[in-house]
Amino acid sequence: MRSVVLALGGTVAGLTLLLSFKSHSAAPPGDPVAAAGMPATQGSPRPQGSPRPSAPAARSRATAGSSAAAATRTVTGDVDSTAYGPMQVQLTITGQKITKATVVQRTDSGEKSDQIDSFAIPRLIGETLAAQSGRIDAVSGATYTSSGYITSLQSALDKAAA
Amino acid sequence: MTAPAELRLPVSAPPRERLRHAEHVMGTVVSIDIPAAAARVLPEVLRWLHWVDATFSPYRDDSDVSRFGRGELSLAQCAPEFAEVLIECAIIRDQSDGYFTTMPGGRFDPSGLVKGWAIERAAAILNAAGFAGHCVNGGGDIQCSGEPQAGRPWRVGVTDPLRPGELAAVVSGRDFAVATSGTAERGAHIFNPHTGRAATGLAGITVVGPRLTAADAYATAAMAMGDAAREWAEHLDGYEAFATTTDGDTWQTSRFRARLS
Repeated sequence: MRSVVLALGGTVAGLTLLLSFKSHSAAPPGDPVAAAGMPATQGSPRPQGSPRPSAPAARSRATAGSSAAAATRTVTGDVDSTAYGPMQVQLTITGQKITKATVVQRTDSGEKSDQIDSFAIPRLIGETLAAQSGRIDAVSGATYTSSGYITSLQSALDKAAA
Repeated sequence: MTAPAELRLPVSAPPRERLRHAEHVMGTVVSIDIPAAAARVLPEVLRWLHWVDATFSPYRDDSDVSRFGRGELSLAQCAPEFAEVLIECAIIRDQSDGYFTTMPGGRFDPSGLVKGWAIERAAAILNAAGFAGHCVNGGGDIQCSGEPQAGRPWRVGVTDPLRPGELAAVVSGRDFAVATSGTAERGAHIFNPHTGRAATGLAGITVVGPRLTAADAYATAAMAMGDAAREWAEHLDGYEAFATTTDGDTWQTSRFRARLS
């Protein structure tokens, strides 16, 4: 059984999301040291941003998948009530690696919510992918439109480097 | 004894070694990853991209492409680069048995090649200025040059066309181009010019090789071919391909593996 901790913290520049993925028995959810840890992948870069002891943390539960050791599982975090509204992160885990991170329940509509959707979510997804597949400099895919860029992985990389 | 606070100098951050710029142009966003010292060349690169947009956009009534298509301009009256693009298009058309065409919707539109060509030329501007370590990404079509850091190759993720947010492959290298065509972002927008119907068979195809002009046009042609692209791509000189079919299967040309990270 694994646990997912989603820590949200405001920064001067904007919002930084920190995703932590750890063994359930290592530390209780919300532990700031555990929240600063990353997936147990050798040489993985750590996400940017700093954990806050006061950051809300969500206990998680496995919602789908089989019991096979290297099987692909989906883990969905509890709905987390944040200053920007309720949020929920879903991870797809193959063996020991996060292969996908998505926000399955977005924030309420509104100005601040738009900010979190367009800035934090692609950044979270991008950092998760980067942590799992090593450093990625650029992303190739079907040509996105100018607005499609906002949610693209390339946009996440550009923001991480800015 | 410590100095008065007002006399302390701020500790300056170490100079950034890399610079990232995202420019909205050509209906997409061009992401430019350059050495920080190349910032002085950036305005020239951006001017070039906007000039290409103004000259080659089929969506602008006053572009050379629109005016040439309406018969208002002769080839000699167009910008000199116009003939260069037409020659590149003709070469790819012949190499692809007509699956690449400058008349995809019945009217003149070389867009299947122009973006890759524009990005390749933007990279050439940076090379000519002496900044080899750069990567220019035009909405998902990429030209990389040199290395991002000494001893480290560029690493380019290829998105999975059927699973948004996931990567299907990671390719790496120095001085190479990666172009992807597919239905993930804008739907079935590529037509088979021999049937006039939307291309079928592939959800996406990625072509890797030395030049983005060819890689971009090859990817467009391969999407139009659909299932037949596998045999065709196997014989491209210097270019390798990786494809995801609409059924979710993947295939790659025999030497694509050497490109994988």
